[in-house]
Amino acid sequence: MSAPGNGASGGAVLLDVRNLSAGYGELAVLNDINLSIRTGEIVAVVGSNAAGKTTLLRALSRVIDCSGSIVFAGQRIESLASDAAFDLGLVQVPEGRQLFDRMSVHDNLLMGAFRRRDRAGVTASMERVYTLFPVLKERRAQWAGSLSGGEQQMCAMARAMVAAPKLLMVDEMSLGLAPAIVDRLLDVLADIRKEGVTVLLVEQDVHSAFQVADRAYVMETGRIVREGPAAELADDPDVKRAYLGV
Amino acid sequence: MDLLWQVLVNGVLLGGLYALMALGLALVWGVLNIVNIAHGAFIMLGAYVCYYLFAGLGLDPFAALPLAMLALFVFGYVVQRYLLNLVIRAPMFNTLLITFGIDVVLTLLAQLAFSADFRTINPTYAGSNFMLGSATVPFVRVIAFGIAVGLTLLLWLFLTRARLGRAIRATAQNLVAARLYGVEPRRVYALTFALGAALAGAAGSLYGVVSQVNPYIGGSLTAKSFAIAIIGGLDSPLGVIVGGLFLGIVESLTSLYIGPTYSDVASFGILVLVLIFRPSGLLGRTA
Ligand SMILES: Nc1ncnc2c1ncn2[C@@H]1O[C@H](COP(=O)(O)OP(=O)(O)OP(=O)(O)O)[C@@H](O)[C@H]1O
Ligand SMILES: [Mg+2]
Repeated sequence: MSAPGNGASGGAVLLDVRNLSAGYGELAVLNDINLSIRTGEIVAVVGSNAAGKTTLLRALSRVIDCSGSIVFAGQRIESLASDAAFDLGLVQVPEGRQLFDRMSVHDNLLMGAFRRRDRAGVTASMERVYTLFPVLKERRAQWAGSLSGGEQQMCAMARAMVAAPKLLMVDEMSLGLAPAIVDRLLDVLADIRKEGVTVLLVEQDVHSAFQVADRAYVMETGRIVREGPAAELADDPDVKRAYLGV
Repeated sequence: MDLLWQVLVNGVLLGGLYALMALGLALVWGVLNIVNIAHGAFIMLGAYVCYYLFAGLGLDPFAALPLAMLALFVFGYVVQRYLLNLVIRAPMFNTLLITFGIDVVLTLLAQLAFSADFRTINPTYAGSNFMLGSATVPFVRVIAFGIAVGLTLLLWLFLTRARLGRAIRATAQNLVAARLYGVEPRRVYALTFALGAALAGAAGSLYGVVSQVNPYIGGSLTAKSFAIAIIGGLDSPLGVIVGGLFLGIVESLTSLYIGPTYSDVASFGILVLVLIFRPSGLLGRTA
């Protein structure tokens, strides 16, 4: 097996998307998307600007209407509301981080647990997240808006982790960050997977996405045009020409 | 010197009450982005609730205060849920018009229901004083001050420590993210507006004890609350306390050295200066 995953392909199917189409009002953006993710995998969806990656995440987290079928953890969710999908463990780290800038790091993380009622569980999650991101523990009392870009991205990911996700959907994690910091975040994704959380990583930065992903899908104007193990796709001549600049 | 001390003490006591008046307005403004023109009218209603519980049922005004808060909480919740929710995403101008309309209607109804006469809430201990240094301090004003500051601190604790308080701040700062993590903005808005109205109810009860009430006091109270919210910023109840004390002291000093008729001029002069030089408030973050 060519993917860096450790036997990840052995997991059961967590997310299965069939013939998904979605858009905004009259504007059709996604066209007949098929995609599936197994428990424990890191799967990347790559594509250039306006390919529809963010729209795909919106449809999966039930923020916008869609047609087709989405099965998550054995349950049909395509007609659920976003709150219900969230409660099932489908949690998004949004594009642009969307932190609560004038709230402390600690309060930002607690907002991830807003819908959780198990106090003990929340405390345990907070502890685990602080172990995963020691720098956030140091800065827990600081306003989230005063963190560096990389720390803000960590804060956004940590907040999502406190929501106890089964599938963590990360949108444009590397946007605007220096390569060294992106590498740090990729390590963190591997750690998150070790916590038992499956990851769907949406990226324009194909290089970094392929470093950590087991499998990947390539999107162009609302369609999936390639799929396969990340290592194979990285060698694909078309993908190389279009995305890797060689 | 003795006179100055007396004036400062008066200013601080007045300022505490001012802070409580402005608190609800600042809270609603910061979270819903609505400047509630009817806030002063809510204060007026709170004063009448307290007055009738006192004059009609013989309740002590400080025991009536929580009931006035409760009444205004329910009133505020209903106004938000069934009226303001219709325009929640509307531009500031529309919400200004609507709350202005609420203000006009409430003032008119109050005049019909309560008459235009001045009312005072006068418990038996209303005349008792004590001395603080050389200054004479009316007993009820100190209690009113203590309650005002206490409620402000309680609100601060609620916003910073409680789960719902955090959700209120989160909704104010980033609606998209708050939604994403399961906050329902409609509930948060209704709760916030109701809290703002309840604070107005408390402020009105205290105002009725230390001053006189008629149906027309709302307009000038809204204006003062607005000035304090601008001076103290919308970020924190603690800023509103500082804004209230500041305005109370400035008004008292102005009436001493320039003349009582000028105290309003001074406070709005300061408001204009703050808007020019520190648009985010004296304590607010610099933009
Ligand atoms: N809220 C919206 N309303 C209408 N059209 C939208 C909306 N959001 C996105 N679109 C359109 O949908 C298309 C896909 O956008 P989307 O944000 O999904 O792309 P993306 O792949 O995430 O791009 P990027 O890499 O720049 O984030 C674009 O043509 C965009 O203009
Ligand atoms: Mg996007």
